[in-house]
Amino acid sequence: MNQVGAVGLIAALAFAFYGMVTGAVAGKLRSPRMLKSAQRAVLGFFAMTTLAVVSLEYLVLTDNFHSAYVAEHSSRALPLLYKFPVLWSGQEGSLLFWTWLLSIYVGVAVLLNRRKNRQLMPYVIAISLGVGTFFSLVTFWVANPFNQLSLATATGTTPYAPPDGNGLNPALQFHSMVAHPPMLYLGYVGFAIPFAFAMSALMTRQLGDNWIRVTRRWTMVPWMLLGTGIVLGGQWAYHVLGWGGYWAWDPVENASLLPWLAGTAFLHSVMIQEKRGMLKVWNMVLIILTFFLSIFGTFLTRSGIISSVHAFAKSDIGPWFSVFLAIIAAFSLTVLFLRLDFLKSDNRLDSIVSRESGFLFNNWILLAAVLAVLWGTIFPIVSKAVENVTVTVGPPFFNKVMIPIGLLLLFLTGAGPLLAWRKTSFQSIKRNFTVPLVFGGVAGIFLFFFVGVHGFYTLMSLSLCAFVAASIVGEFYKGARTRMKTSKEHFFPAVYNLTMRNTRRYGGYIVHFGIVLLFVGVAGQAFRFETQKLMGPGDLLQARNYLFRFEGMTTGQKANYEYETVSLAVTKNGHAWTVMHPQKRFFIASQQPLSHVALRSNLAEDVYVVMAGRDPNTGKAIIHVIINPLVQWVWIGGMVVLLGTILALIPSRVEREMAQIHKNQEEAVEAHHAS
Amino acid sequence: MPVSRLLKTLVLFLCLGTVAVAAGRSPAQIDQIQKDISNKVYCTCGCATTLARCPDPHCPVKAEMDKIIRTDLEQGKTEQAVLQDLVDHYGEKVLAAPPPKGFNLTAWILPSVGLLIGLFLAILVVRRWRRPALQAAGPASSATPPVDDNVRSAVEEEMKKFMD
Repeated sequence: MNQVGAVGLIAALAFAFYGMVTGAVAGKLRSPRMLKSAQRAVLGFFAMTTLAVVSLEYLVLTDNFHSAYVAEHSSRALPLLYKFPVLWSGQEGSLLFWTWLLSIYVGVAVLLNRRKNRQLMPYVIAISLGVGTFFSLVTFWVANPFNQLSLATATGTTPYAPPDGNGLNPALQFHSMVAHPPMLYLGYVGFAIPFAFAMSALMTRQLGDNWIRVTRRWTMVPWMLLGTGIVLGGQWAYHVLGWGGYWAWDPVENASLLPWLAGTAFLHSVMIQEKRGMLKVWNMVLIILTFFLSIFGTFLTRSGIISSVHAFAKSDIGPWFSVFLAIIAAFSLTVLFLRLDFLKSDNRLDSIVSRESGFLFNNWILLAAVLAVLWGTIFPIVSKAVENVTVTVGPPFFNKVMIPIGLLLLFLTGAGPLLAWRKTSFQSIKRNFTVPLVFGGVAGIFLFFFVGVHGFYTLMSLSLCAFVAASIVGEFYKGARTRMKTSKEHFFPAVYNLTMRNTRRYGGYIVHFGIVLLFVGVAGQAFRFETQKLMGPGDLLQARNYLFRFEGMTTGQKANYEYETVSLAVTKNGHAWTVMHPQKRFFIASQQPLSHVALRSNLAEDVYVVMAGRDPNTGKAIIHVIINPLVQWVWIGGMVVLLGTILALIPSRVEREMAQIHKNQEEAVEAHHAS
Repeated sequence: MPVSRLLKTLVLFLCLGTVAVAAGRSPAQIDQIQKDISNKVYCTCGCATTLARCPDPHCPVKAEMDKIIRTDLEQGKTEQAVLQDLVDHYGEKVLAAPPPKGFNLTAWILPSVGLLIGLFLAILVVRRWRRPALQAAGPASSATPPVDDNVRSAVEEEMKKFMD
C-alpha cells in the first residue's frame, strides 16, 4: 500500500500541474475544450489525492510499521477513533491532508460552476491547481508520508518493521482533536478558492459584481470553519493541557488567528463594494492578504522556525514555503497593479458619519490587530536576525497590546450597524445610540457598585458587551415592529420572517452576538481563582466556596496507558455537591504522562481539577484546583458565531428570486448560442 | 554633610527600607508574587509555555526556577530584582515579554505606530472620498431649502432598510 500511496501522490502532482497549465491556456485562448480538459484534471487530482489518503489510512489501520510515518505516529494499542487523526498528526501526513482538502475544494468549485462563471473558471482552476502543484510537490519531494523503514546490511538495505510504533502524541488523544485540525485546515485551505476567484477576476477583467458575490460566499465558508477550528483548539487546550486556559498566544494559535482576522476585514469591507462600488482595490488587497496569511500560518506551524507549545519538529520545508510565499506576493501584487485602472470607485462618500466610515474604521482596527499579532509572533525571528538575541514574546505582550484593540473592535461591532449607509444625521445618531449607550452605562455602574468589578478592562469589556447586545436586540426589535405594523404579524413570526428575508444581515447580527458572548467569557478570566496542595487521605482543600476532601486513589491500566485516579468529595457552600476524579495517565508507547482534567461546568463557573502528579517524597497527590468563571460562554459564543454564519450563508428569499432570474437569463443565452 | 554623602545615605536607607518591607512579606504575599512572576517568565525546559503553565509537574528546570524565585523573594528582593536574577541565569529569552529597551522597543511601539498610521490613512481616505462629493454638491446644494429633520430621519430609515 506504500507504493500505491506513492503512485497516487505522484499522479496527483502530475494532474495538478497539467490542470494548472491547461487552465491557464484555456483562459488565454478562451478554449472550451481546454477548459473541459482542465476540469477533468481537477477530477484526476481529487481521485489521486484521495487514493494517497486512503492508502495512508489503510497503513495506519493495519498497523503497517514498515511505513516510517505509521511507526512514528501510531501504535497497535491506539484506539480506532484516534487512528484516523494519525493522518494529520505528523508533518508529512498533514501536508497530504492539506493537499487532499484542496482537491475537494477545487472539485466542489468546479462542480458548482459547471454552467456559471465560464470566463472566470479557467484561471480559477489554474491558480488553485497551482497551489495544488506546490503542495503535492512538497509532499512528494520533501515530506513524503510513504517512505519505508529499512536497515542497512552488508549487501545493501533490507525492509524493516519495528514490533510496535511510537504511538500518537498523548495530547492528541482527545475527542476535539479529531475535529480541531480538520476544521482548521479546511479554513486555511479554503481561502485558496476566493483568492483564485479574485485573481481570475483581475486577469479576465471581470471586475463587476459577480466575482465579489461569488468570492464572499467562498470566503465565508473557510472563515467559519477556521473560526470553529480555533474554538475547538481552545477547547482542546482547556481540557488537555491542564493549566485551565484556552488561549496562550502561542505562535501556532496566532498563525490561525491572522487569516481569520484578515478574512473578517474582507467580509466587512466587501459590503461597501457591493452596496456602493467602493474599496475595490482594498478588497483585492484583503483577499490576497488573507490567503497569504493562511499559507504563512501553515509555514509557521510546519517549519518549526518558532518554538511553540505545539512542538512541531524543525523541518526542511521552510525554504520551499518561503519561495512559495514570495511567488504568491509577487504574482498577486503584479496582477493587481496591472489592473488598477479597472478598480476605480463608482461612488464617493456622502458623509463621514456613515456606515461606510464605520466599515472603514472596522477595517483599520482589524488590520491593526493583524499587524500586532503578526509582529509579536515574528519578533523573536526579527530580533535574532537583527540583534542576534533570542527573546520571547508571550502572553504579557499580547494581552497588553491586544486588549485595547479588542475593546475598540467590540465598540465598533455595536456602533457600526447603528449607522445608516451614506449619511447619518445627528438626530438619527441620538435615536439609535441612546438606548444601547444607556444600557451599557447602566451595566457598567451595576457591575462596579453591586458586583465589585473594578478592573478597568474587565469593566469596559462587560459594559461594551451590554452596549453591543442592546444594539443587536434593538435592530431585531425595530425590524420586527415594522413587520408587525405592515404585515400584521405577531412578534416571533415577525422576527423569523425578518431574519429569513435578509439572512445575511441578521445572520451577521447573530455572529456579532456570538462575539459578545465570547468577550463575556474572556472577561470572566479576571475573576479566576487557583490553588494547589499536596493531598493524601482525609486532607482538605478550600477553593472559594468549594471544599475538597481527598477520599482515595486508584491505579489501573487501559489498552494504551496506565492511570492513577484520585477521588475528591466536594462540598459547595457546606452542602455535599459532587465527587470529582482527576486522573494522571502514563502512555506506554510514547512514554509520556498526561493529566486528565476533572471538570464540572455551569454557566456561572467551571470547577477545574488537575492531578498534576505525585510528590516524590511523600507520595501525596499534587492537586491543582481552578475556579474559572464564565468559561462556558466562550464555547457558547463560538457556537452562536457558527450558527450565525450558517444563517448568513443561506440565500435569503430575495437572493433566491434574483438567482432564479439570473439562471433563466443564462439559460436563455445558452439556448440562443445553441441555436 | 556633602550632598553626595547625603544622597548615598538616602539611597541606602531606601534600599534597607525596601528590603525590610519585603522581608516582612507574609507567605501568602510571597505566594502571590511568585505566581505573578511565574506568569511573566518562560520555563526554559523547552515546553514553550510560561513557568506557571509548564505541563510537567516534575520538570527539573521549573523546580530550579521556582527555587530561585522563592529564595529571592524570601530574601526580600523586589519583583524586578527577581526577574533580573532570572535573566542573569537563563538569558533574556526567559522573559515572557521583551523588556522595552533598545531594539525591543520596536516590538512595543510598532503596533501603536501601525494603529496611528492606519487611523491617519483611514482619515485621509475618508477625506479624499468626501471632497469630490462636497465639490459636486457646490453652490446649488446650498440653495436648496433645508430639509425638515423628521423627514430626513424617515428617509434615512427607509434608505437603511433599502440598502440593507
